[in-house]
Amino acid sequence: MEAGDEQLMLAYREGDAGAFEQLYRRHKGALYRFVLRSIRDRALAEEIFQEIWMRVIEARARYEVPAPRAGQPPKFTTWLYTIAHNRLVDHWRKRGLALVSLDQEETAQAEPAAGADYEPHRVLEAKQTLARFARSLGALPPAQREAFLLHEEAGMSVAEIARATGADEQAAKSRLRYALSKLKEAVGDD
Amino acid sequence: MTDPNKERAGDPQVSQRYRELGAEEPPRALDDAILAAARRAAGSRPAPLAAPTGRGRWFAPLAAAAVLVLAVSVTLHMQLEQPDAESPSPRADPSPPPPKISAPEARPQTKSAAVTGEEERRAGRQAIAEAPRASEPKPFLEDKLAAASPAEAGPLAARPAPASAPAAVLSSRSDQARAEAVSAPQAGALQPLAKRAVTQANVQTETPERELERIAELRRQGKHDEADKALADFRKRYPDYRIPEAVRERVERR
Repeated sequence: MEAGDEQLMLAYREGDAGAFEQLYRRHKGALYRFVLRSIRDRALAEEIFQEIWMRVIEARARYEVPAPRAGQPPKFTTWLYTIAHNRLVDHWRKRGLALVSLDQEETAQAEPAAGADYEPHRVLEAKQTLARFARSLGALPPAQREAFLLHEEAGMSVAEIARATGADEQAAKSRLRYALSKLKEAVGDD
Repeated sequence: MTDPNKERAGDPQVSQRYRELGAEEPPRALDDAILAAARRAAGSRPAPLAAPTGRGRWFAPLAAAAVLVLAVSVTLHMQLEQPDAESPSPRADPSPPPPKISAPEARPQTKSAAVTGEEERRAGRQAIAEAPRASEPKPFLEDKLAAASPAEAGPLAARPAPASAPAAVLSSRSDQARAEAVSAPQAGALQPLAKRAVTQANVQTETPERELERIAELRRQGKHDEADKALADFRKRYPDYRIPEAVRERVERR
């Protein structure tokens, strides 16, 4: 049976570097996409992603498994994304909360592979649909986008989003609902 | 109360479209850099919970034990050498009695010897080297050095051995040295073992002089039989002890 995130982090706190490696492998993809799609600048995203993990490393001595809340087990994920949220807030403050449009590079990987039934117009259509969705995602206010990304990438519930972002549950719920609504419009336009 | 499971249910269509954006991963170089930093940080911990293996398992205890042994031996050495530097040698040559050495001349050497083990040894040798000049009796330390390391004690052994000082002077100076040794600040911090060693060293080094002084006193009081008996007893107990000429005149029957 695999050790939980919290056990791994505690093991790392006690000096087990292998535990950190397991944790990192589990969470690196989701966290990377969360950061990349939040700020949409690959070089900067990589820099911030690294800084977040450095903060995790530096804060290991202070890590403690929080007391479980009613009906919810304590989660390392919430702690990790709280660090990520704080780092992104710093970034947005420096940028004056400026929104940057999503460039084409972001959607390049979504291009369907050419197969036997390769139809150029369908590929183009799919590409355009995805680009529209990506634009809608990029056009979301940072707080709504963050709530959506936390929901999609970290698999967080509204309550967990609220804890990670320091908002109350009502605000987190509202942000997620608005984000989903706007993105659904983009999907519905297909 | 919000139901988290219910709130987690987003929109399947939106989720599906979001997944189509791709599952990007951080570059390999970034992974390596972060993992290396994590390993470095883990390695910098003073006391990992996991039991150390290989060299690390015995290195720290061995180092601690070595430091402890060194500290105890230096302390013992310091305490043993302090009284010795002023004690007469039992094998001192019977040369003419030297003039009485003044206490302040020798005391600074004793005090300066309390810094480190090496300084203590150096100070001890210096005291020995100055012994002939100051007409000090040849101390035990010189004999010890000669016996333990001929190369190291060569120059000292080659030097003419001084004659013994009058027993009264020696006795009073030995008492003074012992008093200093006991009242010195470091004496308070001595471990019981070191204290016992100092006491033994004092008894061993000063008994012959005290005995001779007692015999001389008996002789002076005209108790010659008693003095003869005590002298015979003394020679039995210290067969190798060569009584200095000046002292011999006072302890032997004329």
